[in-house]
Amino acid sequence: VNVPAKPDPLIHPIARLSICGLLAAGADWVEFATLRDAAGISDSVLSKQSRVLEDAGYVEVHKGAIGRRPRTWFRLTPQGRQAVQGHLAWLAQLEAAVSASAEDAQPTRPLPDDRDQASRVLPPLLDSSSVGSDPHGHSGV
Amino acid sequence: MRDAASDPEALGLELLRMQRSRLADRLRPPWWYRLGGATVWALFYAGPFTSRSFSSPVSVSTWAIVIPILALCLLMQWGMTRATGIKAGPRPLRILQDGLFYYRPGRRAGIAMGVLSLGGLTAEHFLIDRGLLAVAIVVAVLAVVAQSALQQAMLRAVRQDLRTGGEAA
Repeated sequence: VNVPAKPDPLIHPIARLSICGLLAAGADWVEFATLRDAAGISDSVLSKQSRVLEDAGYVEVHKGAIGRRPRTWFRLTPQGRQAVQGHLAWLAQLEAAVSASAEDAQPTRPLPDDRDQASRVLPPLLDSSSVGSDPHGHSGV
Repeated sequence: MRDAASDPEALGLELLRMQRSRLADRLRPPWWYRLGGATVWALFYAGPFTSRSFSSPVSVSTWAIVIPILALCLLMQWGMTRATGIKAGPRPLRILQDGLFYYRPGRRAGIAMGVLSLGGLTAEHFLIDRGLLAVAIVVAVLAVVAQSALQQAMLRAVRQDLRTGGEAA
């Protein structure tokens, strides 16, 4: 399904982009600790940002338990998936545009390992400077 | 001028790639998952032998094979989810919501597993009916090895999709 590339201000903050991008990657449900570790964010940030996404209808939260330990699971809703795909497509377009403009603006410099450049560039320059000059090296001044 | 290296959007995407890679690395199957997978397939391909090669008083009901297979599959899925914190297994009910061809990582490996299951069972039945028991055993062993390899390929495909972003990329 092709989703139009468009920015979503709700997903744009980096913590929410991380949460949504990870949930959209291919897994169905992702557990709280796994998501926190993969995103590299704290418990409180994940709790806070996931609640924002849940309130917006982008993320579904399921609370369960394994033994006595409570576990919280997250997954994207269809609406959230669509929004993330659009936002990521927009980011990718932006990244491509920035890379292209950076390449265009880069001045043409010799490559660091182009050691033969001097032998290719200097002889024509020396030839042109010697035109009309004294063959014995006297400038005639 | 905006630079790709310092652009916040580009950095955000780069960070997301790293995070996805970290998430994908968690989805490595433990040793018992591989062993369980091989056991499931061994039971699966043992089915034709138990019901056909021996006379009926000794033959085993199909349910005696199917129920342990299902129980082992559920146990493995539960254990894998608990160990990795990721539920990425088959979701048959998603067909109702997203249609038959809904996005699913490792679809090719899944189709190959289905074809090999049917092909292997058919070949076994054919060989057992003709009394070629030794050949049927060789076919079953090869099929178990191939299915185990396909199962790993499917997990690799899921990991790859987690890394690259799958349908969201």
